[in-house]
Amino acid sequence: MALPSHSLRDPNGMYTFSSRPRPVETRSKYREPALEQTQRQYGNIMYDRRVVRGNTFAQHPIPRPDQSDPAKQQAFRRRAIARRQAREHSRTKTPEALQGRQHVDVQTELYLEELSNVIEATDIECQTDEFLDKPATPLFIPAKSGVDAGTQIEEGELFDFDLEVQPVLEVLVGKTIEQSLLEVMEEEELACLRTQQRVFQELRNNELAEVQRLQEQERRRREEKERRVAQQKEVLKKERETAEKIAAQAFSQQYLAGLLPSVFTSLRNHGYFYDPVEKDIEVNFLPWLMAEVNDQLKKRFVARELLDTIIYEVSQKRLEEFNRLETRQDSL
Amino acid sequence: MAAAVQDPNRDSVAFGRQAVPQLFEQLQQRDASCRLRALTSLCDLVHEPERLYQIVTEGFIAQLQDLLKDEDPSVRTKTCELLHLLTSHSIGRLALLSSSLLPHLSDLLDDSSSSCRRNVHLVLNGLAQLPAGAQALLVLVPKLMLKLRQMEAEQEEEEALLLSTLSSCSRLDPLPALASDGVPVLGHTLSHCSPNICREATAVLMALSIPEDGKRQVCEEQVLHVLMGLLQNGDLQVQTNAAGVIMNTVIITTGKYLSLELNAVSVLLNLLSEEEGEDQRKKRKTLVIYCLRALTALAEAPEGRCLLQDQLPLLEKRSRDQDQDIRRAARTAIRVVTWTP
Repeated sequence: MALPSHSLRDPNGMYTFSSRPRPVETRSKYREPALEQTQRQYGNIMYDRRVVRGNTFAQHPIPRPDQSDPAKQQAFRRRAIARRQAREHSRTKTPEALQGRQHVDVQTELYLEELSNVIEATDIECQTDEFLDKPATPLFIPAKSGVDAGTQIEEGELFDFDLEVQPVLEVLVGKTIEQSLLEVMEEEELACLRTQQRVFQELRNNELAEVQRLQEQERRRREEKERRVAQQKEVLKKERETAEKIAAQAFSQQYLAGLLPSVFTSLRNHGYFYDPVEKDIEVNFLPWLMAEVNDQLKKRFVARELLDTIIYEVSQKRLEEFNRLETRQDSL
Repeated sequence: MAAAVQDPNRDSVAFGRQAVPQLFEQLQQRDASCRLRALTSLCDLVHEPERLYQIVTEGFIAQLQDLLKDEDPSVRTKTCELLHLLTSHSIGRLALLSSSLLPHLSDLLDDSSSSCRRNVHLVLNGLAQLPAGAQALLVLVPKLMLKLRQMEAEQEEEEALLLSTLSSCSRLDPLPALASDGVPVLGHTLSHCSPNICREATAVLMALSIPEDGKRQVCEEQVLHVLMGLLQNGDLQVQTNAAGVIMNTVIITTGKYLSLELNAVSVLLNLLSEEEGEDQRKKRKTLVIYCLRALTALAEAPEGRCLLQDQLPLLEKRSRDQDQDIRRAARTAIRVVTWTP
């Protein structure tokens, strides 16, 4: 940053210093100096604490500018205090006052001086007077220089309006009419198209109706025909069935005609028709009879057997008797 | 050109090519009134095809998406107005379809501000005129039907626009509307007194009665009754549309017998036999054709045939009419009436 102050060392050994005048910055006591030069707050030098006012004889010297480092500041303060204390210790002081007395400062010079805190000062003030009324400044009219000249456009010199306006007007009117003609033609075209569409629709509806009517008619006729054909078929079928039924009836009648006598015959043959008395005799009486007969015969047989046995025994005995007799006879 | 008097509602517009981008930049600002002014100026500019082309091709439409969700209702209304102006041109419509603005628009249908809703309906109506647009709007049809059901009496304009959109969509594909109970709801709207609404409602009904399901529903929901009344309505369009619905409905047998009960033949014959002036002829042509076709369908039923055989002279007169289509229709009618099995 270019500093406003320059210090030069002349080759002769002269030292020059130049500084651009700048207002003093206001900054608080322990604040760092502002680095940017733009943010200067210019303060009134009269109210700046750094400027010494009044009598400088009696005042203590200006404190040293702040150090940047607070630690350094502290150290400095500590050293200052230590120095002061050391000085106090080394200085020879006047002995303390005795009891009942006190020391007083007295001036001993030739001419006494009044020591007071009040500093003599004189007040001077100054005031400007009110503005005096001044007459208005006269208009500044510069001195005339140059040559006067004038001009005027007369009627008909620049252009003739009626002539000139014609082409423009023609274009305007022509365009408007052309546009409107276009629009009208479009509308007409649309109307034409619509009419055509309508006519076509009606024709189509007509023809459609006609077509549908014919279709319906066709359908009805076809259905009628089919119905009639079906009816006819029904009739034929019925007839055929009737004929078959008749034939079947005749045949079955004939078949069944000889059935009855043959049935009876076979039944009779199988003995299903019988005389009950005869049957009864056959079934009940005759077996009993036979059984009785058998019994009788058995009895006779048994009797005969018995007789036979008797006879045999008798004959055996007689034989034995005779044999004995014989033997006896023989032996005799 | 610098305007001497600045309209306080409009923003200043830069010259030439810079106008549109600059206004769109203005739209990004926080202040709602600033945005509103920019939008008003844009609406004025968009009438010019070149500006519209510029808006569409330089992809500014996507920025409008944020504006649609703005808190200020007037900003939303103006944005929808801008979109409506866009739909008056084909590239605008295509651009609108290809951008992703449709879901946001459909959310705005439930908006609190009525002018905003009206503008949204205008946009949808404009879109529906295009077949691709109608295709894209088919997904919205259930929601639109819901809105129709909840519509109150004062919102006539909205209702008319809504019905018009529905009719365009249903002409393309009537099934979604039918699936959301279209026929009963429309039957209720038919009893509305305003001719606009009647006209649009009958147009939607005509589109809905083309598939067979729709025809059946029309018969079941007692709508034919109301339609007979509408045939004698003053407005030509209403009459035409009502005749169209009847023409579609009498194709199925139920419709035939219902209409014969309701004495449709005499009403239709009245309409046919009205004498018309030269200027009226063109306008009534459609009505006449529809009546003839309805009578043709009715003549297929034996009772109808009996009734119409007495009226052959009238039909013959029509068959000598100047217009080729009327002639053809009348000849078909005569052929059907005089057919014997």
